[in-house]
Amino acid sequence: MKNEITLQTRREFLRTTVLGSSLSWTVPAFLANTLTALHSEAADSATQVVTGSDATILVVLQMAGGNDGLNTVVPYANDFYHRARPHIGLSGDKLIKLNDELALNPALTGFKSLHDAGQLAVVQGVGYPNPSRSHFRSTEIWQTASASDRSEPYGWLGRYFDNACGGSDPTAGVAIGGQLPQAFFAKHPRGICLNNPQNYRFLSKGAGTEESYRKLNDLEMAGLAAEDDNSGGSIGSLAAGMPMQGGSAVDFISRTAMDAQMSSDKIRDIAAKVQTQATYPGSQLGTSLKLVAKLIGGGLPSRVYYVSQGGYDTHTNQVGAQARLLKDLGDATQAFVQDMKAQGNLPRVLVMTFSEFGRRVSENASGGTDHGAAAPLFIVGNRVKAGLFGKQPSLAPQDLHQGDLKYNLDFRNVYAGVLENWLKTKSLPILGKAFEPLSVV
Amino acid sequence: MLKPLPVRDWNYAMAAHLLNRAGFGGPPREIEALADRGPESAVNFLVDYESILDPTPNPAWAKPDPDRLKKIREINQQGTPEEKKQLQREENQLQRDRLMELRGWWLQRMAVGPRPFQEKMVLFWHGHFATSAEKVRNAYYLWRQNELFRRLATENWQHLLLEAGKDPAMLVWLDQAQSSRQHPNENFAREVMELFALGEGHYTERDVTEAARALTGWTLDRAREKFIYRPQIHDAGPKTFLGRTGSWSGDDVIEQITAQPQSARFITGKLWNYFAGQPPSEELNTGLAAVFRASGGHFKPLLRAMFRSGEFYQASVLRNQVKSPVQWLVGSVRALECPLPAPLISCGMTRQLGQDLFAPPNVKGWDGGTSWITTNTLLARYNDAESLVQGTLPPMGPGDLGGKTKAAGGGGKKGVRKLQRVRMGGVEVGKILTPEERANQSLLVVSLERRLFQSPLKGDQKRTLLDFLASRTLLNDDDILAAIRLMMSTPQYQVT
Repeated sequence: MKNEITLQTRREFLRTTVLGSSLSWTVPAFLANTLTALHSEAADSATQVVTGSDATILVVLQMAGGNDGLNTVVPYANDFYHRARPHIGLSGDKLIKLNDELALNPALTGFKSLHDAGQLAVVQGVGYPNPSRSHFRSTEIWQTASASDRSEPYGWLGRYFDNACGGSDPTAGVAIGGQLPQAFFAKHPRGICLNNPQNYRFLSKGAGTEESYRKLNDLEMAGLAAEDDNSGGSIGSLAAGMPMQGGSAVDFISRTAMDAQMSSDKIRDIAAKVQTQATYPGSQLGTSLKLVAKLIGGGLPSRVYYVSQGGYDTHTNQVGAQARLLKDLGDATQAFVQDMKAQGNLPRVLVMTFSEFGRRVSENASGGTDHGAAAPLFIVGNRVKAGLFGKQPSLAPQDLHQGDLKYNLDFRNVYAGVLENWLKTKSLPILGKAFEPLSVV
Repeated sequence: MLKPLPVRDWNYAMAAHLLNRAGFGGPPREIEALADRGPESAVNFLVDYESILDPTPNPAWAKPDPDRLKKIREINQQGTPEEKKQLQREENQLQRDRLMELRGWWLQRMAVGPRPFQEKMVLFWHGHFATSAEKVRNAYYLWRQNELFRRLATENWQHLLLEAGKDPAMLVWLDQAQSSRQHPNENFAREVMELFALGEGHYTERDVTEAARALTGWTLDRAREKFIYRPQIHDAGPKTFLGRTGSWSGDDVIEQITAQPQSARFITGKLWNYFAGQPPSEELNTGLAAVFRASGGHFKPLLRAMFRSGEFYQASVLRNQVKSPVQWLVGSVRALECPLPAPLISCGMTRQLGQDLFAPPNVKGWDGGTSWITTNTLLARYNDAESLVQGTLPPMGPGDLGGKTKAAGGGGKKGVRKLQRVRMGGVEVGKILTPEERANQSLLVVSLERRLFQSPLKGDQKRTLLDFLASRTLLNDDDILAAIRLMMSTPQYQVT
């Protein structure tokens, strides 16, 4: 995406914005204002030119460990289900019935509210060919959207950042957690990750130490640049201040320090000022989504947020453990949606869950399940086409693949749907192949 | 190709480079001592470590414990459900505590041990064989594997690969313990070729299946906590492996793998990448493999040739490798001559920076290089530098104190409480600066430069530091520590 808009392309530029395609969010504020002024319709109506502050947002929610899909979206009327799970199979009134055949796990009361409000899409039977039962490998496949027999260094969101977001503002993607998810890995700056806003800065007590730190690292431009430009884009000043050439390790680290500085001030400011308008569970997921809500409310121009919830690898004593996790999932997501609604941002936000695999149909001897394959995922938002997508894979023993559910829908179709219909970008350059986009919005 | 560095090019900076890469760096006097030896003797001093005594004791529990195992078996067979649950809880806690102790024990060896090159090789093998506590929930097994790497660090490749394959931790990690003639498990067979010795594309799927058959019989005697060969579960039939047919055993498979020319290329390429910070060119890799094969697959001649070579001291190699979290921590305490923080904190630091010892993120170990650096981990390095230097507690949450799962040592809330009671050392200014240096700001900066970077700072960086020091009314220890911390908060400090 070019950083400069020339006179020749202005007309095309206006056309694409009016049609609703999103611009690179790093369009500097002054340019967006100019376009708004130029296009009278935009000026009159409530719809504004799509810039960083109006763009759609995707929140990716990783359920790490391999969530047992069958006890999440329960085929409660299915004989095979109960035969395969005499001890851990779910039944009874507490099940949250979606229809005559499927129900949500009783712990998903949060999702029930979303379902009742028409804000929940359940995508069934998601997986991919030649599934891997290795946590690492399968997670890598979901993160990089690669075929299962290939290894890709970059993540699908990283390729989205490279393709769709020009410029180098590091807040293209924000991951809450200790490590950058592989989904963000990209050729150019990869987005940021942070755990705790208070610590996401150069901590110092002594006077003058932070100033010296900035001077030492040529970071003085970073602070100024961030202030100049309220849309967050600061390509011009960045290019001027920093040596972008050179492949040395020191250069890479310098750029990262710059990214950290630019995003740190912005993020801490937002985290301190924005008040949340919902009650989040005190869990890691709850805290992460709360922070995401603040960042969105504070106007951070990021298009993609990433949060994760761990613990789904329920080999033993699954029922209690999974119930706790799903309760957390439902409650945290519901709080987040509530918060977005109160902010007036709900129409811009979509939450998508994923897990590296589902689990086997039969229970094991320890009251749990082992690694499997296909499973459902959830998409949440008020512009989502609520309800059930895809087909519940058959549980009949002859229809299983080595004891696992066969997938009906490749996860890359879901990604394509999210990329094309929500993030408004072509999915082919990002996924490497053409996948029919699932129409969830 | 691989001609030794000329003596005239050998100096303090080159000696520092050698010590940083072949070890974990050190204070100026150690670098000076190494420099004084000259290039050949310096390399031999590091590589021939056997002559240096290492009296470090092992953890008390680092041995088989048949009585405890017997007790566990009895409870599992005859106990009530409550007793079994209680046992499970105790066992989990025991393993978590021992794992923490093990991590601290190893970091301490790296930080103060007299054989830095040996420990650096142990770290290499640890990443290479990438065995994780998340699945091997037995600190004794993990210690045994670590000690195996130490014992055979620079011996013979075939011997090391064989021993590593038969080691209990590996038998559990890659499921060889569950393999049998009736149900051969292919995990180890595949990974030994794909990850450990040949690389993808240098064997076929058929080779994997046949190797798995040959390896049956290799299993774990859980009661005695060691490898055992059980002929009754071994598939003794003919197998066609890497183009040759015979009634191969597991030992045969390992021998044939390491006999492949590709095996020499593969492992020498990995070693060069680890020490030089970048993959070797095709030509260089060929040269390294040739040296390795000529020595019969022994590591010392190869490593000696590597550390003597002009290629190792090329401009593109110098100061261009991102320090791993362990290198960052251990190198810092060595250079600053300060104590390693208590295990809870040291492990928390390296984990926070992305390297959890005994819990690599996947079977490929740690990617290394620039992948160590994200906005989060970079700021964490700068903030941990403050704690290290001042002897204060670093900002950490429960997540940093624990592994991904409780099995990998997750500390949770209890860990945070433990943290409040732990003490740290910090840098002693009097130990690293002479009175003259403390009194004169220019000398101070030059001295710290030499200690921390072994090469001069950029002009304006130096000026910034001098300005910082000049702005202090009384140049006391705190100010000097702050200056050290600033120097550690630069991109230059993150590379070695």
